[in-house]
Amino acid sequence: MNSQTTKTLSLIVGAILIATLPFWAGDQYQLHLAALIAVYWILIAGLNLVVGFTGQLSIGHVGLLSIGSYTFAILAGKMGVDPTLSVFVSGLLGGLCGLALGLPSLRLPGFYFAMATMAFSMIVNEIVLAQVDLTGGGIGLPGPMFPKPFESPIGFYYLVTAIALFVTWLTWNIARRMWGRAFISIRDNPVAAQAVGVPVFKAKLLAFVFSGITAGVSGAVFASLQSYITPDTFVFELSMFFFVCIIIGGRGSIIGPFFGTVVLTALPELVSPLAKLGNFFYGLLLLVVVLVVPEGIGRMFEIISERLRPRTVHREPITPDLNRLAKALKVRE
Amino acid sequence: MLRLTKLAVRLSLATALVVSATSALAAETIKIGWLSSLTGALSSAAIAENQGVQLAVEEINKSGGILGRQIELLTRDTAGDPTKAVNFAQQLAFSDKVHFVIGPVNSGEGLAAVPILARAGVPNLVIGAIDELIDPVKYPRAFRVINTNRQWISTANDYAIKVLKKSKVAVIADTSGYGTASAKTAIELLEKAGVKPVYSVLVDNNKTDLTDEMNKARAAGADVVMPWTAATGMLGRLLNARGEIGWNVPVVGHPAIMAAQIRQLLNKPEYWQNAYAAGYLSTTYGSDGKLPERTQQLVDKIRPKLGGGEIDVLFWWVAMGYDTVKIIEHAIKTAGSTDAAALQKVLENTRDYRGVYATYTWTATERNGFPDSNMAVNPANTFKDGSFRLAPR
Amino acid sequence: MLTVIVTGLAIGMLYASIALVYNVMFSTSKVLSVTTGHLSMVGGVFGAYIISVLQMHWLWGLLGAVLAGAAFGWLTDVLAIRRVLARSDEHLWLLSTLALATMVQQAVGLWWGTEPKPFPRLITQEFGAGLMDQKFWLPIGMAIVMAIGLEFFYRKTMYGKVFIAMSEDAFAARARGVSTDKIRLLSYVLSGALGGLAGFAAGQLTFAFFALGHTLTLLGFIALAVGGLGSNIGALIGGAALGLLNSFASYYFGGEYQQTIAVGLLMVVLLIKPEGLLGAKNVRPV
Repeated sequence: MNSQTTKTLSLIVGAILIATLPFWAGDQYQLHLAALIAVYWILIAGLNLVVGFTGQLSIGHVGLLSIGSYTFAILAGKMGVDPTLSVFVSGLLGGLCGLALGLPSLRLPGFYFAMATMAFSMIVNEIVLAQVDLTGGGIGLPGPMFPKPFESPIGFYYLVTAIALFVTWLTWNIARRMWGRAFISIRDNPVAAQAVGVPVFKAKLLAFVFSGITAGVSGAVFASLQSYITPDTFVFELSMFFFVCIIIGGRGSIIGPFFGTVVLTALPELVSPLAKLGNFFYGLLLLVVVLVVPEGIGRMFEIISERLRPRTVHREPITPDLNRLAKALKVRE
Repeated sequence: MLRLTKLAVRLSLATALVVSATSALAAETIKIGWLSSLTGALSSAAIAENQGVQLAVEEINKSGGILGRQIELLTRDTAGDPTKAVNFAQQLAFSDKVHFVIGPVNSGEGLAAVPILARAGVPNLVIGAIDELIDPVKYPRAFRVINTNRQWISTANDYAIKVLKKSKVAVIADTSGYGTASAKTAIELLEKAGVKPVYSVLVDNNKTDLTDEMNKARAAGADVVMPWTAATGMLGRLLNARGEIGWNVPVVGHPAIMAAQIRQLLNKPEYWQNAYAAGYLSTTYGSDGKLPERTQQLVDKIRPKLGGGEIDVLFWWVAMGYDTVKIIEHAIKTAGSTDAAALQKVLENTRDYRGVYATYTWTATERNGFPDSNMAVNPANTFKDGSFRLAPR
Repeated sequence: MLTVIVTGLAIGMLYASIALVYNVMFSTSKVLSVTTGHLSMVGGVFGAYIISVLQMHWLWGLLGAVLAGAAFGWLTDVLAIRRVLARSDEHLWLLSTLALATMVQQAVGLWWGTEPKPFPRLITQEFGAGLMDQKFWLPIGMAIVMAIGLEFFYRKTMYGKVFIAMSEDAFAARARGVSTDKIRLLSYVLSGALGGLAGFAAGQLTFAFFALGHTLTLLGFIALAVGGLGSNIGALIGGAALGLLNSFASYYFGGEYQQTIAVGLLMVVLLIKPEGLLGAKNVRPV
């Protein structure tokens, strides 16, 4: 069984598992956790294009999540707009804010850009706290439910899984084709990319705006899942969390960050003493991965599997056909 | 051969019976979920409350449990993060299937977790003060043990206006959830009492110096400053600023003003004078210098667990934690079962249940159980062994 | 009004000191470490610990803060920088320093507690001293002393000149026999010590609080960006500008939009003059 078949098979098995999760999950808590993973993944899939592929280290995406959540809560909750429409608007607004943030900052070198995104998330937090009439300030807002059949936990799970799968398919397509290669080239060597004709700034901006849209959508369903949002939810540590998911999963892959998300979301729940060390643990994990396997844990598995079952390299020795060569030379003369 | 098999079958059947019996018995513990922010913001309150909760659980378990069943306390550290609070609430309600949940402590966590518990139908003892946490219709099984924020604010307002006879109020709160909500309520209640604040401001509780705000309040002609923040750092700076600009205005407000940590944050001990905070009769020394009997009993019981020396935390936190478990005991004993609907009915019909922290009364339409009569005002610098003296009237 | 200016200047000088620390780190490694703000936090916390908890004289506190900062700086180089620079991938040091910064912040939070604790008085002084209060002129004085000290270091001492050589062209320096690894380590230790010193001096202003790190990293960076990367005078100017702007903005508009205004300044400067007021234009060989 070659690797292509194994890959397809595991994808099918995975799809079946995901589709039937509510039935084997055990209890509503685990269903809630699964839905949370899906919600996070919507954002992380988009962010993956920015961080993992284009190499723009945005550590302020929690700001865009916050914008998405509050937009949804205000529109669908306070103003009574249809929740589905609100999700679209949240995504749109997320994209617009991504554009507004990206335009000035994407031209800046790495550290400057990271600081700009961090500052952005702090500004969003300040504005949310200050605009008490709009956002409820420190008290926060209730997260509205979706209409039937998505208001039950199982229905909601299917909704977010469907959105997550759609976003995954989008990012996978982008990553596979022209833009994906453009992103990777920008990450690895911007100068060479530019020399070859890749529109560097446009590509970065595109990735960033896309990640803003997914962050907005993720924020909307996040608000609904949490059933209540306050400014305390959107702290810098959440940005770090998204970031670490991508890095440990492996930059440049789609499935890697997905596993990263699953592991990092589920781990503190399963290992309660770990919850206290929470953020310290994320920092430690990030440091270890950066120092030991910067390509991510996915790469580590690849290295291990290479050791255990080395890929057989087909040798195709080239033996020149001397007669034909001689004839060709003779013709030359 | 057959004999051995028969013996084996009988033995295994017997073992199975015993095992199932014991596991059935063991499965009959009463599970109480405790959502506590033991790390992170407001951890000092949560840690003190935890002491009270654990003492009560130990006491009850030692004397045979409730209805013969032992209490199993499931503590979950939410670290001040509403997302964790939601996750743990879900876990406690659906995975661990607890019979009762105490907490969360923080308002932000409470706002997120209380609806989840309500949806799951789990009875919930609320220990956050912010008004929005209680709603007899939306959250029928949530009963508040702590006083409401309104009670704190109106007690302080009463003292400032009626006792100290001040009329020009400056309201200073922090930008947190609690601060913004409290500032709003404080101004609303003041205006209802016919007093419009001359100055009000929201300050980030990490701001390094409050001299500006105090100067502006003074310039606006304020004759009393009312801070609404639980952040001891900010309160310390406020009192320091008041002292440094030499403005002897009374400060009346949030109980944190009298927290023991403030003593170390002050530049001069005198800065703690002329400061009053909303407190409770249950943790106030009477004119004979003695605490109410029930409070003193608990103080003596728990002193060895707090280190044996002087108590250096606000004792009402400990008392409140203790009371929550005792209320659960009372509810389950009276209902005769752990059925959620029965517990709800019992709590709705609780009148004057005497605890250490307060005497509680809930009705079908009133889920705030703390009586106004237990509110008091204490001078901040009279902290001794966890309690205070009564402020002069 | 004078209070606003003095408060702004005092906190601004803390930012300026952090910008100076950035400069020292950047000169030898071309890395801007996320741990810079945390160095100050560590200095403040350890100083408070030694003086308040261990009840020792403030000179010991000063020494402790400097040593703690230096140790942290050393750790940064050994753990987060050395291996990462060896691989040529450009931005991994951002991740590793971010990781280390988070770890140190959480560790300090677990040990010291999450409440801001008071920083003790260093020199006996009446509290009613108003504007002459030491919590204002300590950070201002410290920043100026640091800037002058660094100028002296760069111009007059051998190590200073080696730093400059490394910042101009690391390969050439190595070709001339400079052990770049050791010099980089030294620069990190030095920057750590300076960071700890800055945090210690400003402790009475900020209180000993474990969560200061990220905010200080960001604001120190804004001071650096405004003043120009690589310029010490620029750092002082940038820090003063940021501090004064913050102070005036919170006085007139209330403290609610503090970060917004600070970042607004950053964005404006970066859009108009990306290399900062006094920075050199970044020419990169292709």
